[in-house]
Parts: sequence; C-alpha cells; structure tokens
Amino acid sequence: MTALLSIQAVTKVFGGLTAVDNVDVDIAERSITSLIGPNGAGKTTLFNCLTGLHRPEAGEILFDGRSLIGLRPDEITARGVARTYQNIRLFGRMTALENVLVGQHLRLHASHWSAILRSTRQQAEERAARTFALELLAFVGLESHAEVVSTNLPYGEQRLLEVARALGSRPSLLLLDEPAAGMNPSETDRMMELVHRLRDEMGITIFLIEHDMKVVMSVSETVAVLDYGEKIAEGTPEEVRANARVVEAYLGPEVVLQDTADTPNL
Amino acid sequence: MAPSRLTAQAAGVNGKTALRFLLRAFGAAILVLVIWRVTTVGLAEGYPASFWISQALNGLVLGGVYALVALGYTLVYGILFMINFAHGEVMMIGGIAGFFALQFSQSRGWLEGPWPVVVVALLLIMLFGMAASVLIGITLERLAYRPLRQAPRLVPLISAIGASLFLQYSVLLIFGVSPHSYRKPALISGGMRMGDVFIPYTGAIIFITSILLMLALYFIIQRTKLGRAMRAVAEDRATASLMGVDVNAVIVITFMLGSALAGAAGVMLGFHNTVVKFNSGFVPGLKAFTAAVLGGIGNIPGAMFGALILGLIEAIGPSALGIPTEYKDVIAFTLLVLILIFRPTGLFGEVLSEKKA
Amino acid sequence: MTPVSANGAIRNGLIAFAFLGYLILIGIPGRLGGSALPVLALVAALFFWVKLRFDAPDTGGAGLPGGSAEGKPGWQIGAPGQSSGRGVGALFPGRGGTLVLRHGLLAGVTTGLLIAGMSLAFASAIGSGASIQPVLDKIVPVNVGALIGVSPGQIANDDVPLFRYPLQVLFFTVAGLFAALAAVAARARNLQTTSMARLSAYLDSLPFRTTARFAGIALPFLLLAYIVWLGIPGVSAFGSNEGTVRLLFTLIATGSGLFAIRLAHPGREQKIVALLLALGVLTMPFILDQFQNSVMGLVFIFVMMGLGLNIVVGYAGLLDLGYVAFFAIGAYTYAFLSAPFSSPYISNLLNLLGISPEIPLLGYWTALPVAMLTAAIGGILLGIPVLRLRGDYLAIVTLGFGEIIRLFMLNLGELTNGPRGILEISQPGLFGLPPQSFSSGLLSSQGWIFLVALVSSAVVAFVAIRLNDSRLGRAWFAMQEDEDVAEATGVHLVRTKLLAFAIGATFAGMAGQLYASRQINIFPENFSLFVSIDALALIIVGGIGSPAGIVLGALALKGLPEVLRGVDEYRIVTFAALLVIMMIVRPAGILPSARRRVQVSPTDEQGPTTAAEERENDASLPAQGPPARPEDARSEEPA
Ligand SMILES: Nc1ncnc2c1ncn2[C@@H]1O[C@H](COP(=O)(O)OP(=O)(O)O)[C@@H](O)[C@H]1O
Ligand SMILES: [Mg+2]
Repeated sequence: MTALLSIQAVTKVFGGLTAVDNVDVDIAERSITSLIGPNGAGKTTLFNCLTGLHRPEAGEILFDGRSLIGLRPDEITARGVARTYQNIRLFGRMTALENVLVGQHLRLHASHWSAILRSTRQQAEERAARTFALELLAFVGLESHAEVVSTNLPYGEQRLLEVARALGSRPSLLLLDEPAAGMNPSETDRMMELVHRLRDEMGITIFLIEHDMKVVMSVSETVAVLDYGEKIAEGTPEEVRANARVVEAYLGPEVVLQDTADTPNL
Repeated sequence: MAPSRLTAQAAGVNGKTALRFLLRAFGAAILVLVIWRVTTVGLAEGYPASFWISQALNGLVLGGVYALVALGYTLVYGILFMINFAHGEVMMIGGIAGFFALQFSQSRGWLEGPWPVVVVALLLIMLFGMAASVLIGITLERLAYRPLRQAPRLVPLISAIGASLFLQYSVLLIFGVSPHSYRKPALISGGMRMGDVFIPYTGAIIFITSILLMLALYFIIQRTKLGRAMRAVAEDRATASLMGVDVNAVIVITFMLGSALAGAAGVMLGFHNTVVKFNSGFVPGLKAFTAAVLGGIGNIPGAMFGALILGLIEAIGPSALGIPTEYKDVIAFTLLVLILIFRPTGLFGEVLSEKKA
Repeated sequence: MTPVSANGAIRNGLIAFAFLGYLILIGIPGRLGGSALPVLALVAALFFWVKLRFDAPDTGGAGLPGGSAEGKPGWQIGAPGQSSGRGVGALFPGRGGTLVLRHGLLAGVTTGLLIAGMSLAFASAIGSGASIQPVLDKIVPVNVGALIGVSPGQIANDDVPLFRYPLQVLFFTVAGLFAALAAVAARARNLQTTSMARLSAYLDSLPFRTTARFAGIALPFLLLAYIVWLGIPGVSAFGSNEGTVRLLFTLIATGSGLFAIRLAHPGREQKIVALLLALGVLTMPFILDQFQNSVMGLVFIFVMMGLGLNIVVGYAGLLDLGYVAFFAIGAYTYAFLSAPFSSPYISNLLNLLGISPEIPLLGYWTALPVAMLTAAIGGILLGIPVLRLRGDYLAIVTLGFGEIIRLFMLNLGELTNGPRGILEISQPGLFGLPPQSFSSGLLSSQGWIFLVALVSSAVVAFVAIRLNDSRLGRAWFAMQEDEDVAEATGVHLVRTKLLAFAIGATFAGMAGQLYASRQINIFPENFSLFVSIDALALIIVGGIGSPAGIVLGALALKGLPEVLRGVDEYRIVTFAALLVIMMIVRPAGILPSARRRVQVSPTDEQGPTTAAEERENDASLPAQGPPARPEDARSEEPA
C-alpha cells in the first residue's frame, strides 16, 4: 500500500518551542485518519506545515510521491490538498455560494479579458462553477442557504460551509481541523456522517483533528496521537485507546491505572 | 474581520520565497547603489569632519522634534489602531499658540529681562503651546474619532483626513496665509563653538528638552498606574474594561499626552524654523509618522529611535550621496521602504501590542 | 431643577458658544453684516434643537446619573398611555416637557451671556485704544461690530449703545426656548400614534410608492430639460449666478439619475431609464458652457480615478495613499509624447533619433495605450515592494511613493522641467481631425474633454464591474476578507495583488492623460498628495465598492465645491467638516455597495448617540418611511 500523504520526521520550531517534533505519519489513499492529542500538542501546527502556512525546519512531506516542502499554500491546494480551520475562517461578508466559488478559484481558467467581454466560454465556465457550487452546498446540506451571507449562518452550518469551500478545489486529501468542535451531539453525528460520505461517495482521503474521543473512535480507521509535538502512538482506535502513554498524556500519570475503557470524552 | 496574522508570523511564513528573493535583491541593489554613491561621490567631496559632525547634530535636533510628534502617532496607534492623520496639525496649532505667547511675552518685555525671567517666560510659552495642542487633541478625539470606534479602519482615517484639512484651513482663515515669524530672545540666539563645530543654543535646548520629555513619557508609561492602564487597553480593550479600566478616560489621556508632546514640538519647531503657518504641520507630521513606522508603530522606544535615525539620515544623506538637499524626503521614504522590506514590522517591532484589529 | 440638568444645559450653552466663537474667528459675522446676530442665533437654535432632540438632556428628575437610556426618566415622555391629549397640553406631557424648556432657556441664556460678555470685553478693549494682537486686530472690530450691530468705527470711538448687549442675550435666550419648544413639539407629535400610523400607512401604500418612484425617476429628466431651457440664449432665471446655478442643477441631475436607475424596476425598465439617462448626460457637453463643462470634465476624470482606486482599496482591500503617482505618470507620459519641446531631455532624445521635437509624437488616442501601459508598469513596480505589507504600513509606504514621484517631477528638471512644468499639451482629436475643428460651433473645447471623460469613465466602469463580477473579483474580495485563507484556498496572492495595483494604475494613467490635456499645461504641484486624498475621500463618501456611489462621490466632492466658488474661503473648511460628519453619520457612503451593507452589526457601543437611537426606536412606529435615517446607517456598519 502506497501512502497518499507521507509525513517524514517533520519538525517545526517556534522560538524555543518545538511545536512539532520529528513526526512521522503515513496516510493511505481513501482512508480516514485522525490526529488527536491534548491542547497545544502541535496538531494545528502540523496541518499548517502540510498546507504551506509554515515551513518545517526539518523533515519531508510527500504527497502523491512529490514533496510539498517549499510550495506556496495555493500551489499545495492546486496539488489536491484542502483544509478547514479550527476557528472558523470563512469569507464573512460573502454569501455561502460565493465562498464555495472562491474555493473553486484554482479550477477556473477563463482569462480576465474574457471576463470583461463575457465570452461564451467564460460564461459557460461561470455557470458550471455555480452549478458545482450548488451541488457541493447540497452535498453538505446547505442548499437552501446559498444566498445567505456566511457570518449570518449558525455556527454548525458555518463549519459545513468551510467543508464545502474546501471541496470546491476538488481535493484528493481533505484536512479537517476539529470539524466538530463546539457542536452539539446531533450536529456532531451529522458532521461525522458527512465525513464518511466524503470518503465513500467522493473518494476523498480524510485527515482530521478531533478532540472528542468517542467521535474519533467511531469515525477513524487509524489514529495518530501527538503530545508536546511528539507522536506518542499510532494505530487502530482500539490499540490507541489501550496505549498507556496516550492515557497518561490525556489524564496525567496518576490516573493511568484506572479503567480507560469507559473514560468519557477525553 | 479575521485578523490577518500574515505579518505576525512573518518569520515562519513559507512559500513567498520567490517574492522574498525579489525583494531582497531589490533592497540589496539599492544598498549597493547607496554605498557606491557614498564612497565615490559623497566621501570624495572631501568635506571636513566638522562638516559631518555639525550635519549630524542638526539631524539629531530635527530627529528630537520628529520623535516628540512620532510618539503621539505611536501612542494613539497603539491604543486605537488608527492613524491620527491630523496629528501634524495638532503640532502646528501648538506652534501658532506658541507664537502668540511669544508675542505677548515680547510685548511685556519679559524676554529682555534677567535670565531666570527669560527661562520662565520660555517655559510658559511652551506650556501655552502644549495647552493649545491638548485642547485641540481632545476635541478631535471627542468629535471626530470617538463616534467611530467601532467603524472599519478606513472610516476613522478619512475622518482624520477631514479633521486635518479642517484644522489647516481654519488656521488659514483665522490667521492668514502669511507665515508668523518666531523671534528668538537674545539669550538663546547665539551658540557655542567646539573646535570647528558650531552648536546653536536653540538646537541644544531643543534636543535636551525633547529627551527630557521623552523620558518623562517613558516613565509615565512604564512606572505609573496610568501607564499600566494604557498598556492594558492597548493589549486588549475589552478585557481591560472588564478589569475595571476606564477605557474612555485612558484614550482621552493618551490623546492628551500625545498632543502635549506635539505642542512642545510645534513651539520648538517654530524656534528652529523661525516661522509657522497653517500648513507647517503637514510635512513634519508625515515625517514623524514615517519615523513611527520606521521604529515599529506602537513601539515607544522604537518611535524615538526611528525619529532620531530619520533625522540623522535626512541631514547627512544628501551630502553623503552627493545629491541636492531637495531629495531628503526621497531619502526618508526610500529608507522607510527598504526597512519595511527587510523588517515588515519596523526596526524594533511592534511592542505595545501584537494584536491588530 | 436638579443640578444634573443645570450642568447639562450650561454645557450645551458653552459648546454652542465655542462653535459660534469659531464662526466669529473665521469671519462669518463680518460677512453677514446686519443679519449676523439673528443668523448666529439661528445657528445656536439649530444646535440646541439637535442636542435636545437626539441627545437627551440630563433632566434626571430622580437624580439618576446619566449614561443609559433608562437613566433619564425625564425624557421618557414617549411611554404609551402617558400622553396627555392634544393641543398645548401635548407639548408638556408630564415633567419632561417643562424640564426641556428650562434646559433650553438655561442653555440659551448661557450662550447669550458669553457672547455679550465677549463682545463687551472686546469692544471696551478696542474702545480704550488697546491693541490686542496683530492678527486679532484685523478680525475683531469687524466681526464683533457686526455681532453687536455697530460699525467698527463706533467701536473704536467707544460709541456702543449699552442696550445692545442685553439684546444679544435676549436673542440667544429666545433661540434656546425656541429650540426646546420645537424639540418638545416634535416629540409630542411622535406620541400621536394614530395620525403617525395613518401617515406611515399612506407612505407605505402602493399609490404613494408608485408616485414617489415615478417622481424619482422623472426628476433627473426634468432637471436636464430645465438645464437645456436655461441654456437657450435670452433665458435667464438667476441673473449673474446663472452659471453656477446651472452647474448645480447639472450635478444634481447627474446624481439623481443614479438614484433613478436604482428606483426603476430591474430588468427592461431599468435598462430603458439607464439608456435615456446616458443619452441625456451625453448631450450635456453640447449644452453647457466652457466653465460648466470644465468642472464636469474634472468630475469625470475623478470618476475614473475613483474607479481605479476602488479596485485597489474597495475590491482588493489594499489601502493606497500614493495613488496620485499613477495619475502623474499618465499625465507626464502623455505630456512627453504630445507637447512640443516638452523638456530638454526629451527634445535631445528626439533630435538624436532624428525626429523633430516640435510636432507631437503621438496623438491622444495613439498615446493612450502608451500612457496606460506606463502607468500599469508603474503600478507593478511600486506594488512589488509593498506586497508583504499590512494595511497601515501599506498606507504610509504608498503615500511615500506618491511624494517621491512628485519630488522627482519637481527636481528632475532635465526630464520634467521641474516647477516650470510642461506646456502646450495637445487636445484629443477624432478620426484624424484636429481638436480645433470641433472646438468652435457645437462643442466647446472643455465640452469635448467632458465628452471624452464621460466615454472613458463609462469604459472604465464597465471593465471594473465586469472584472469584479468574475473570479478575479471574488479573489480580490477573498483576499480582503482573509489573506491567509484566500491563499490557502488557491488564490495566488502576488498575482492577484499586482493585478489590482496594475489595473488601478492603468485607470489612473488614463485619467492622468485626460487631465493633462484638459489642463494644457501641467506642473508638479498638480500632483500633490491631495489628489490621492480626494480620490480616496470620494470613493468613501460615495460608497466604497460601488461604482454608482463613486460617481456620486465625485459629483459631491469635485463638483459641489466649484458651485461654492463664491464663498471660496470657506470651501475647504466646509468640505472638511462635511467629511468628518459624513463619516460619523453615514460611514458606508451615500450609495453603499450591497456587500458593504451586509456586515456584522457592531457590538454594544456605549455613548449618548446609541442611547438616543434606542429611545428613537422605542418611540417610533414599526413602519418607518423609506428614507433611511442616519441612525440606521450607523448600525449597518460592522464592528
Ligand atoms: N504562529 C505561531 N507562533 C508561535 N507559536 C505558535 C504558533 N502557532 C502555534 N504555536 C504554538 O505551538 C504550540 C502548538 O499549537 P497548536 O498546533 O495550535 O496546538 P493544537 O494541538 O492544540 O492544535 C502551542 O504551544 C502554540 O502556542
Ligand atoms: Mg489546534
């Protein structure tokens, strides 16, 4: 099995703080992989390294066999990696539809001259883009909100819109940074169902950061655990749950001996 | 609006390598050009050392005045994240008020009296200028800026531009176009000679006064309860207000401090340039803002050093490069561009606050 | 009366005095002559009225501290069920009304006493032969004299009837009382819910709306017709002011045309209205005289500037204060190409190439691509160093660039002739015909410039709107919203920013070229920072991001001041004060773009204005008439 994404010994340092420390993760095509770890473990920083927002001090990131190191964020997106953000970062004054259209920016090629002249090709491309955007909105369940300005959407729907925007660039790998953060249980279920559909219906590989242990266990096939920037465990959900270092990282050393099986919402 | 973290993360930002290379190359090219000019033209002129020293001293004096004005920009920016475009006019009004106080003192004959009387009179003149500037500064804050605290950034900027025009042309309407000339009292009109270098008394007084005022400001900000409140408001207005800081009062006091310094600068610039008129605050205001940006806006020591550096470069630059002095503003702005290319948050970084609205 | 309210009234009196003092200092009473006192009293009354109406006085009957809406029960006369019928009784519902009256009285007396005291002090000082200050000696006798109602000579001779001073106090007292009465009356009218409801129902009814809409659409056409009529030789309605009045009507007609287009139903009706208006506006260059045409030409040159700057600032969100640089590049490029012996350097160059520097190298239209290209290159070159800079740094660096360009123009004498400028720049021709051939007869030379400006700005607006409507426009807007995310979403930041700079600069270059041929002679001081400021101010006043707003902004900021030529001295202060007021009252602009209007509502803001708004909203009926009140505009703006 060749990995779609291969993170090799990536290290990112901020001043004196090593936010990501020599981390290796391989992600197989069409898999759902979770990245977990306590707050400040370096998960978001790893995502930032993957999407070109930060340049890692050391290590290699291979996507589809080619290195992503040193590429601009838009180049990485062009390669097929898209992401969402932990603290929602939509284009606030745009409508939901426009957000998704910006997501498609890379997939539109009509020249600016043709936009001025409204050539038939450019018009056809714009129409296709709108249709695709509406399809994506329908896919995440926001078809009725296409014309709503995105800041006016409820919180949970803003998260869904971020997913739709990311899908606009037709990614093969989708990075979701705490997609269910701040959601109630039913919204979380809806989001997790969406994650499955993304993989099953669209064939997109998913790499997601999640806090909620229950969610992680139910959704992912592989789990990697970060603590203080280091990867301390990797494996199936069951393996990770049984791992003493993981429990220690989450709960502190004194509770290691407790029964970890029913620890709720780590 | 989501805060743009681009510059804050500049050190870690990746991907703009090509652009960065381009910029570095551009900067390096200019640097090489400057060094070449300096060595082949400027130094080849063979000016004596005393020439350079007196130029440098001149630059320090001007830098001191810029610093006082720059501090006002930096203080307000640090707290409100707005460019108080009318700050140069606040300075000019200090200069105009100082002129009338000077006239009054002259008509009373205070400036020909024994030296303690002259010193007190000069102090009173400066205080009068400062008071006038403070009055205008807080009026400005109350009428033109306070209603716009929640507005997007462009809106207070335009309001400030309007206020700046309003002040300039009101002064024009009231006091006319013609410049008002400052006549120096005999006591300070001479100078002292050190070797080949001539130091005018006014220059020395201006520089020392600027330094003293800056020290006073630094003390207020770093050591007093008020300063702590100011720093808290700069850091996070909402939290500061939750902690019981009266945000409005802090903002007003910030404007008062900045305006007082500008007023002092206005009076001193009056003595330095010997004239004031309705638009004489504009260019120094622009320079002072440049200095504040140079040092890292919001950063108080940064503004001081930025201004001194700017003053020095402006004074020495044209002769060193062997170009006419008319280009000193070009030098100032080119310097600014160069520094911002290499250090996007100024020479000394933004200290007062990392958070940008 | 509680101490609180007395303080409030005295404070208002003081503020009014400060404002009147300003008017006296800038010499208004002297200009008004005999009517100075009543006019100033009227100004004071207006001020008191605004304060009383929108900024509830501290009539805290229960001694509650001011600050919140609930804290001022004295003004809570709008509570339903408390209104006490009609007639005089309605004017004084409860204690609130009398408190307001007392407040007005006290404020008026305060102002009056201060004015009288000041007049007395100055008059007696001058009367006793004292010289005040050289400057004040010029201002004071005339203005204080007008205020007292005597001649400067009488003051100098200490010959002022004493009763004039109490008269001054009386005037301002009456002003205060009047303002209070008006405020109470306005408030009481708000209470008469039934009639208000009927009125607003009528305003909302279909027949009224249809009529109003129709009237709104017809207005610009009527005005245009009137302008034409005024242009018929022999017709004169305004005597010596004819020219400026016609200009004013032209400005209003053009501006109201933009509203008319908005009023028309989208679709065919809108298209027809727009087309007819375009035709109407296109005939104006033929109707207006040289002066009016030259003003309108300038207005539309600035429309081009505004549209270009709007791409940089409004669409891409890059605050550029050095925009004049590209205007200058366009103007000088064309000057080099079209003026005979434009400058020593250029002349030498042409001689070397074996071309006579006496005849223009290129005509207006052939030079246009060159000027546009030069400006675009300038835009890119100045854009590259600032790509990484954030908002305010960008602002100051671009401002610096603008100054650098101006200083170069001033000091590169060989190339630009320095302050002596470049003279005899040629005018645009048409199909090989020299410009002189139509400057006679139908179209004046400035009319021709106006026509070219109209057509050019239409083209520029078309391009700007189309681009904004494409993926490039979305990328610009995304970049403005969140640069990092835009980049991670696939927007090539460098390219997108440079495109904004280049396109904006191109438009400015076009504007600069036309400006150069309008001016015929250009000098470095035509390209000062104030051009950038004007361009920025007009897009913000008009409504950033909205092309129609930009036209309106240019009409208001470049056109109206010309109408005010008569009171030239007060032009800039008035404009500057309006700019500040505008930002406070309607920061999104006169005709904001749709995107500007949908914004996050501001978080809770303290302050009297907001409190007043809340009360306003409580008291008023749910159905408000169509014209948006200023307060509404405020709450649209984001935090
Ligand atoms: N741009 C930055 N500059 C400096 N430190 C950072 C930056 N981004 C993240 N960090 C630090 O790196 C560590 C990891 O943060 P993060 O990746 O956000 O953790 P999390 O696992 O919760 O997503 C934290 O200590 C954080 O403070
Ligand atoms: Mg995180």
